[in-house]
Amino acid sequence: MKSPAFEYVRAESVADAMSAYAEADGDAVYLSGGHSVVPSLALRLQAPALLIDLSNIAALSGISLHDGWLRIGAMTRHVQALKDPLIAAHAPLFTAAAPFVAHPAIRNRGTLGGSLAHADPASEFPAAAVAMRAELEIASSQGIRRVPADDFFVDIYETAIEPGEVLQAIHVPSPVAGQVIGFDEIARRRGDYAMVGAAVQAVSRGSGLEDVSIALFSVGNHPVRARKAQAALTGRMIDADAIADAQAALEDDLDPPDDPQFPASMRLHLARVLLGRVLANLEAVA
Amino acid sequence: MELNGSQTLAATPDQVWSALFDRAVLEQAIPGCESLEQTSDTSFSAVVKLKIGPVSARFKGDVELSDIAPGLSCTLSGKGSGGIAGFAKGAARVTLTPQGAQTVLDYTADVAVGGKLAALGNRLIKATAQKLTGEFFANFNTALTCEETAPTA
Repeated sequence: MKSPAFEYVRAESVADAMSAYAEADGDAVYLSGGHSVVPSLALRLQAPALLIDLSNIAALSGISLHDGWLRIGAMTRHVQALKDPLIAAHAPLFTAAAPFVAHPAIRNRGTLGGSLAHADPASEFPAAAVAMRAELEIASSQGIRRVPADDFFVDIYETAIEPGEVLQAIHVPSPVAGQVIGFDEIARRRGDYAMVGAAVQAVSRGSGLEDVSIALFSVGNHPVRARKAQAALTGRMIDADAIADAQAALEDDLDPPDDPQFPASMRLHLARVLLGRVLANLEAVA
Repeated sequence: MELNGSQTLAATPDQVWSALFDRAVLEQAIPGCESLEQTSDTSFSAVVKLKIGPVSARFKGDVELSDIAPGLSCTLSGKGSGGIAGFAKGAARVTLTPQGAQTVLDYTADVAVGGKLAALGNRLIKATAQKLTGEFFANFNTALTCEETAPTA
């Protein structure tokens, strides 16, 4: 398949990109790594008049530490999440999630910002961002704002980014002493869309877990924070009883969709099995 | 693919019924509706633009109302084509039940999606259809409430 004809510009700054978008009257698409946009063009599922390439914008790249937060430029490739030592140390759930994201060829081009802005309900990085309580830096013509991941994912493929705005960076709070994480998913084959996935982060103290943060994905229209399961684990040591209580709590946390491939009850069951696995294998990161 | 649901609307069954046949209300309620023409007492043709993630397509379609039991129930059947992106067709049985000053609207729909849309988006089509249905009824409810407060011509 060939894509419909479109114009192409390579923006040199975020302001450039946003003005090109405005001039195209919104009939434009931002191009990041291109691993969702390009196939959809080739399949003619969309036909924008203009593609605005963001890959040359300096403000969207780079990984740096500021005041206990790691700032990850939106154009950071998936492969960097896998290999970059700063991301491994300060945003370890991105590193843990990266091997599950598609395949190496896609990870070499696909970007973290692209994955978050696309917000596929089955993708890994959005759930990792929610579990780490990351904040998303969005540029608009009015200025720059930071949106907590919990408020960023609105619906299927829908985020707090308004038309024409640009996701610039992801900010992740650095791990504190005693922090543990876990990430896993169940897919039919490695690299396929997950049937269900889980990202977990907590602080392990002598008296039990604190600040438990659990995000599940592929169980609803966007990553779902499992608040009841979090509460069931807070203040407790991880043992069989605590895990069983967290698994039981998922019934109240999730309302998974029935779909033509498998029923909601199976998804809930898989979510419980997976959460049990992840909780039993939490790893210390700080 | 079956979709069903129930919606409580802030209007009497008679008001809901006339809104279901009201071009202006439907135009406001259908997500992404660019134009809606009434082609007969019981049929409409619509142009709808949908943008959901990687899909952005303009659908042209027809909707027909049949099996009409005034004030109680009817069947809406429709088909739409989004050109190369694919097509959708379906039928929904709608029933109205009064509940105090409100109306409970129940619907059961059978929807089929084909073409590339189906191939690419199968895993998300049901969730998307439910989201659009939800938006339709939310808009419909808003339009109904506005109608009520507006002076009747």
